[in-house]
Amino acid sequence: MRNNKSSADDIGAQYYATQLGIYDEMYAKENKALPYWERFMAALNSMGSEKLELRRREAQRLLRENGVTYNVYGDSQNLTRPWRLDPVPLLISSEEWLVIEAGLKQRADLLDLILKDIYGKQNLLKKGLLPAELVFGHEGFLHPCVGALQNQKRHLTIYSANLARGPNGLMWVLDDRTQAPSGSGYALENRTVMARVLPDIYRETQVHRLSGFFKSLHKGLVDIAPNNKEDPRIVIMTPGPLNETYFEHAYLAAYLGYTLVQGGDLTVRDGRVWLKSLAGLQAVDVILRRVDDSFCDPLEFRSESKLGVAGLLEVVRRGNVAIANPFGSSVLENPALLAFLPRLARHYLNEDLKLPSIATWWCGQRREREFVLQNIDSLVIKPINRSIGNQGVFGGALSVKEKDDLRSQILAKPHLFIGQERVSFSTLPAFIDHQIEPRNAVLRNFLVASGDDYEVMPGGLTRVARQKDNFVVSNQAGGISKDTWVLAPEPDKPVSLWTQPKRNQLIDAVTEPLTSRAADNLFWVGRHLERTEAVTRLLRTVLVKYRVANESKDSIDTECLRVLLRTFTQVTGTYPGFITCEEELLNSPVPELLSLVKDVYRRGSLTANIQAFFQAAFSIRDLWSQDTWRSVDNIQRRWQQRVIGNEINTDQLPNHLDDLITGIVAFTGLTSESMTREAAWLMMDSGRRLERALALIALMRSTLALRHEDVLQNQVLEAVLVSTDSLTIYQRRYRSYIQLPLVLELLLLDETHPRSVAYQLHELSIHIAALPRVKVNSQLSEEERLILKAYTDLRLCNVFELTQTGEEEGIYADFEKLLYDTTALLWKLSESIANAYFSHSQTSQLIAHKSTEDEL
Amino acid sequence: MKYRITHSTLYHYSQPVGLCQNEARLQPRNFWRQHCHTSYFDITPEPIDFQERLDYFGNRVTYFAVQKPHTKLNVTAISEVTIFPKQNVLELFNQIAWESVRNILQGLPLQGLSQSQSQQSQVLWQNQDYAQELFDAKQFLLDSPMVKVTPELAEYARISFQPNRPLVDVVHDLMARIYNDFTYDPTFTTIATPLSDVLNFRRGVCQDFAHLAIGCLRAYGIAARYISGYVETLPEPGKQRLTGADASHAWFSVYIPNSGWLDFDPTNNTIPLDQHITLAWGRDFSDVTPLKGIAFGGGQHVLSVSVDVLRIE
Repeated sequence: MRNNKSSADDIGAQYYATQLGIYDEMYAKENKALPYWERFMAALNSMGSEKLELRRREAQRLLRENGVTYNVYGDSQNLTRPWRLDPVPLLISSEEWLVIEAGLKQRADLLDLILKDIYGKQNLLKKGLLPAELVFGHEGFLHPCVGALQNQKRHLTIYSANLARGPNGLMWVLDDRTQAPSGSGYALENRTVMARVLPDIYRETQVHRLSGFFKSLHKGLVDIAPNNKEDPRIVIMTPGPLNETYFEHAYLAAYLGYTLVQGGDLTVRDGRVWLKSLAGLQAVDVILRRVDDSFCDPLEFRSESKLGVAGLLEVVRRGNVAIANPFGSSVLENPALLAFLPRLARHYLNEDLKLPSIATWWCGQRREREFVLQNIDSLVIKPINRSIGNQGVFGGALSVKEKDDLRSQILAKPHLFIGQERVSFSTLPAFIDHQIEPRNAVLRNFLVASGDDYEVMPGGLTRVARQKDNFVVSNQAGGISKDTWVLAPEPDKPVSLWTQPKRNQLIDAVTEPLTSRAADNLFWVGRHLERTEAVTRLLRTVLVKYRVANESKDSIDTECLRVLLRTFTQVTGTYPGFITCEEELLNSPVPELLSLVKDVYRRGSLTANIQAFFQAAFSIRDLWSQDTWRSVDNIQRRWQQRVIGNEINTDQLPNHLDDLITGIVAFTGLTSESMTREAAWLMMDSGRRLERALALIALMRSTLALRHEDVLQNQVLEAVLVSTDSLTIYQRRYRSYIQLPLVLELLLLDETHPRSVAYQLHELSIHIAALPRVKVNSQLSEEERLILKAYTDLRLCNVFELTQTGEEEGIYADFEKLLYDTTALLWKLSESIANAYFSHSQTSQLIAHKSTEDEL
Repeated sequence: MKYRITHSTLYHYSQPVGLCQNEARLQPRNFWRQHCHTSYFDITPEPIDFQERLDYFGNRVTYFAVQKPHTKLNVTAISEVTIFPKQNVLELFNQIAWESVRNILQGLPLQGLSQSQSQQSQVLWQNQDYAQELFDAKQFLLDSPMVKVTPELAEYARISFQPNRPLVDVVHDLMARIYNDFTYDPTFTTIATPLSDVLNFRRGVCQDFAHLAIGCLRAYGIAARYISGYVETLPEPGKQRLTGADASHAWFSVYIPNSGWLDFDPTNNTIPLDQHITLAWGRDFSDVTPLKGIAFGGGQHVLSVSVDVLRIE
């Protein structure tokens, strides 16, 4: 799409200057752009808007392929929203950065001291420096945590603040994020992408690097470990793939080399926290949590939470695990605190705040309350407790009745409300619809406690609103992110996350333990993928036969098609389907077939399988390499675009199915070439082998186990060979004689054929023997016993005996029995693997009085 | 008066529980009205991990974990307690009007007091213990998880809060009204029944009545807390005392400056004296749940509780 206005200087500084309203980052208060902006914009301008648009799209492609997403709660259909990146960064001069950096450090110091006091001696409250209602009325104050802070130099390990520049050119703090600040991973990914799409400009502009911050983050987390200080086990605790910033949890886990866990992956025993891994329980020393504090321990906080670990706070109390940030730290996110920070800064530090907060009046005080009520029209009114859907309202935008309601709410519980000045933030150039336009911006900064001091990420996550003159800047509201370039006086040396071992120091190779949840997901990635492949291959065969039968009008073709249609129902498990149906459906099977392709809500449909594969893979996003993830994304996205998003007919479908097979093969190829043959691989491949065996058997039971007349038999045999990608090998081996015993020889018993049942069972036996387990004497485990029996029964059979039968019977009874028994054993095996390895799936329940019946 | 209290909770599970973590507030705390001589647990299966501490409100709390598979869990707490039958001595402030108490708690200047009383209160303000006491009371002024002040609660309480009425009278009146207006009905409520339903249907149990009174008091700026404990029940004349037929009980307490906390039992319309044994106090039931746990596995569970309050001296 060409933009009409496209000319050489439509994105330059001069065009931009005509668009400005209030304070702008590029111009400050001058009539001339700031020199560092001018240089940057000149470089952009020489590129031209068309080329810049290409770079922008390139950035979006990279982000999508890397799986950078932001989930929107409550949007299950459109679960992952692509992360948007604007190619124009926020530039900050090194002089200004010094001011911001010092201000943020001071603020982190101050908040750390306040946190320590609130969960310690509470002197601030007792002396009246901080009103008791302000703290006790905030949901972030968790009284079980009082006295639970451990002996650390700093309690607020990680801190993040949202900054914006007011009309006077000064940076203001809008709010503080203290419990589980998000965004640092997105900032890093933005930088990685920017360095790739604007390499020249990035290289020429001396920009501070971000990797040093992550090195400090690691050091900061190691510092707080209560045990194993040499090499503590650190985990990232996530609420799971439905969380809006799940991508970042997985990304940081992979980047920092930590295990990504959900509450169910951890357990408390003997006063310690343990990771439930495939190889048994592993002690955990530090938890970087991304779960809100009140959800972290159902025993002491919210009992209905399924995201936490029962007994976790007790472990903290005993000093056996460190949590970053500690439970209860969300008490600092109370916006009413902003009104008291200047006083507390003088009290603790004998300093004035270096970065002012946005002007805030807490209604818990009489004079302030009266001020807020009188000036309600010009203020933003917020509850002190953040709740979904109530981010604060601008008084001036309310109707008379709404305003009265708000007034009476404030008067009823004044300590729960604040009034805040409505600030117009500065604007910043953004590339929107092929043009550079001013947008209001918010900058999120990140700090980590490092020894005695705080270290600030030299950069951050800048976000702008999509619409002009919109001050609500958030990802939930569909904002756009930007990289933040802090200019360095001289080039930064690259910092590597790798630590250098001392000379001759031997290092043990320790793979991070695989959590049982990850193992579970890997197993199902294998199963769903294989099921998708089996269904796809069979469907292709059905479609070919459908076309042939329609063209030839031959009764044998029609009969064979019916066998295949019934088989399709059986293999996909989508009864009644073609099994017990009207003649009509068998004569025009297309609507049912298309439903089995497209209907995501139909269990067993191709789309449902692909979706399940994608969900399972996404749940362990941290385990995949970039390339592998791209192949996962390709499978899902192409299917979505080409099949789900389109009206398709049976003529186009085979092409899409071919494409799907190619996608699947790419994934299996990548994984088999890049995964070490450790637990993760064993789990995934066991899932695949198990599913392939089950699908093969289901296919045989509804085709080969039934007796057909010879002519039909030949067609059915051929269809089965095609559907299992085995026709070529069969022909090479047995030439043109097509016979049931020979087909069985190949598909059932040939251990060298990767599409035979024997091959699957053989591989399964090897995998199961290699899985970690607690050995009890020399006894075989339940899984070993089951696979041994299935495999032995198969090897002991003789294909000629299996296909002997009385003239009258409609099925090969011995063959059917073998298939039936093997299926039953494999199902048991699947259950047994789940019991032995997926211990996270055990559900917990609250046990307490359900009623007060037995009380007076 | 000395009592021995035996409180047993038995869980039966339909499937084995592999691990459970529990928190118990079953050991009576000490304070001016009560002394706990001994208190110990008898838990089967025996917990591997067992730890006692004091919680934020000064209650005795016990954490224990059973780490081996079990289908039955029996938690018994046995305590011996002496109760001293005296109430607060309400010399100076027992006639203090509820508005004055509200103002003190809000840190406002006192109204309606004579010069000398006002001076005395100034002296008190500077007293460390008194400041601490006031600070502690403030925890019990605000909404808590199970008690949220609503206009309906305030409306119900309004008749009791006559202007300038002494707070003690206000609470007496409120307690009597709850006792008369509400029907004791164990079939009506569960732990999850909201206070608004209790108020609408005028039914509930001791816990609901305590929450109701607390909500009414907080609506007028009075600090009130929830007490979990036991009450001695005497057999009807001529009948034999039944062991284990007692139950846990709940009532509430009101803060009166310079006198401390005064207990009221709205279920029985009495001022607890020597038959009420206190376990723990908090903002509401959720702070002082006698026994709760998180169990892994277990299927369905059935729970039975028996309480025995035996007067031994």
